[in-house]
Amino acid sequence: MPELRKDPVIGRWVIIATERALRPDQFNTPVSGKSPDGACPFCEGNESKTPPEIYAIRKNNSPANGPGWELRVVPSIAPFLRVEGELDRRGKGMYDLMNGVGAHEMIVETNQHIANMADLSEDQIVKVLNCYADRINDLERDSRFKYALIFKNYGKSAGGSALNHARSQLIATPVNPKRVKEELTGSRAYYEYHERCVFCDLIKQEIEQKSRVIVDLDGFIAVAPFAARFPFETWILPKKHCCDFTCTDPESRVFLARVLKTVLSKLKKGLNDPPYNYVIHTAPFRRKKAGYWKSIDQDYHWHIEIMPRLTKVAGFEWGTGFYICPLPPEDTAKFLREVEL
Amino acid sequence: MGELRRDPIVGRWVIVDTDNPNAPADFNYDQYVPKGGLCPFCYGNEFMTPPEINCFRDPNTHANTPGWTVRVVANKFPALQIEGSLERRGIGIYDMSNGVGAHEVLIETPYHAKDLPDLLPEEVENYFKMCCARCQDLAKDERFKYLMLFRNYASAAGATLEHPHTQIVALPMVPKNALEELHGAKEYFNYRERCIFCDIIRQELQEKDRLVLENKYFLSFCPFVSRFPFEIMIIPKKHSGNFSLMSAEEIKALAEIMQGTLRKLKKVFENISYNYIIHSSPINSELEGEYYHWHIELMPKLTQVAGFEWGTGFYLDSTSPELAAQYLKAV
Repeated sequence: MPELRKDPVIGRWVIIATERALRPDQFNTPVSGKSPDGACPFCEGNESKTPPEIYAIRKNNSPANGPGWELRVVPSIAPFLRVEGELDRRGKGMYDLMNGVGAHEMIVETNQHIANMADLSEDQIVKVLNCYADRINDLERDSRFKYALIFKNYGKSAGGSALNHARSQLIATPVNPKRVKEELTGSRAYYEYHERCVFCDLIKQEIEQKSRVIVDLDGFIAVAPFAARFPFETWILPKKHCCDFTCTDPESRVFLARVLKTVLSKLKKGLNDPPYNYVIHTAPFRRKKAGYWKSIDQDYHWHIEIMPRLTKVAGFEWGTGFYICPLPPEDTAKFLREVEL
Repeated sequence: MGELRRDPIVGRWVIVDTDNPNAPADFNYDQYVPKGGLCPFCYGNEFMTPPEINCFRDPNTHANTPGWTVRVVANKFPALQIEGSLERRGIGIYDMSNGVGAHEVLIETPYHAKDLPDLLPEEVENYFKMCCARCQDLAKDERFKYLMLFRNYASAAGATLEHPHTQIVALPMVPKNALEELHGAKEYFNYRERCIFCDIIRQELQEKDRLVLENKYFLSFCPFVSRFPFEIMIIPKKHSGNFSLMSAEEIKALAEIMQGTLRKLKKVFENISYNYIIHSSPINSELEGEYYHWHIELMPKLTQVAGFEWGTGFYLDSTSPELAAQYLKAV
């Protein structure tokens, strides 16, 4: 009998197919590691092919926009949103609109032509995580922005480009995105009723039940969520309660890097280098002013969601917001636990 | 400067790229290449599917043999099962229930290689008649709260079989997206005492720049807040919440506008894959209300949904709906 499971935070139902379950080896579309013609604009020495850098970690005071860097942030060449201008909120008949103001940055994670973050060193991943926090903090100072989203598209079916140079993206938006609001509202409702954080409760239950845990070490836990939307969906959560990714102390980022690298390497090895997306879910900018959400520090809990793109999202999923997951999360967790690195 | 547009019903913001909009030739989409092979939905292979639930066929032929024009069977690999009760329960902080529901496949035509626009108008009418008949029948089962009709055409849109077919899923709860739409429509109705969809129709017919086709009973247009390039909405002009209660004349008009719209889309994008979904009022539920207005959402599969969309529920539309409508009107 298939099961219907409900996401405890936002209330989304998911169908877990237990009987026509697909085996992991039935999904297989490896991402190739080569760029089309070798001239990758994100490799060291090709700095002139990108817009000028916003941020960089450089060795020996090397000059900006030349070689000698370890990590580099540049504005997107094809930005979704533009940083200049005012919002100018307005109506058009019954419709509402405003100007597309925001920031869209590319975080080039390494000067080497490496495609998958799984293949970076732990040290390098720590630098990437520190850069995320620095960039978010910097953008928070711009009062036009309400939220900063960090995400990664790896491989073509995850929306990634053919350049195959490890990158993350950052988008700062002038409104709080809908999905973020849903998560915040869901966790606040849980907190109001239980006076506990829903994610803390979830972590406690996962550690007790063990069946969906993939990695549990050094203050972080990686689990296949109970109501997974996609096969091999994985969440990484800090065990210590904290609503904001940028508030994690720098020492703990070393451990986060270790867990992230372990999970990404297990996915790469176990599923033959699949395309994936990951998204950091963190609290919106919390400026002290009218309407400030006072309980957010208690009720929300930042985390990372990793979604391997192994199945196609079809009409049913788009139409209903109801997902059919062809493999129970207990099975995917077991599979990933058993992948030896 | 791009624009941020807010969906008036569910409040979703979408970024519309008005600076460097994509023209049809800019999309690098997966083209549909039929592979052929043994097909369980073709004449003579009726034994390969579960027995038929309903069928339009020549009265001189037997069930589960050739001679049919539209045929409905249970899905061989159902996402939900028809037997049993829900048994809602909790495991610690988690909630769950048994996967009870119905999952049917409606085979639109005996012709393996004919998409809806390639059929005769009467054949498409019969197809929609059957859709309505199945919805009315499934609504009698009080365990079901929502009927979801959708069509995945070609592999990039998630179709696993080539032979054109539509799926019907009867769900024991109202899905999240439908709840959001119902909630938005209800708030608008409470405030203005008018249907939000009727207001949208009025504005679209007045402004015309997003309109694709129009007949006596329906219009098709690119929504002001499209999530995907060349997204299209087909909606009845007459206010009605339930798709399955269409009159014969309305069914005829729907067949006509569906064929016309798809024909245009397929002319702009050769061998395109697409999905459409029928949004209709919930059933057997207090959520059936006068504030809802049924409609069809048609989404060509031109782009990949990536991390940004998953993380935020925010979408980027690289061709403004005004421009998309212009391309569709021109063919």
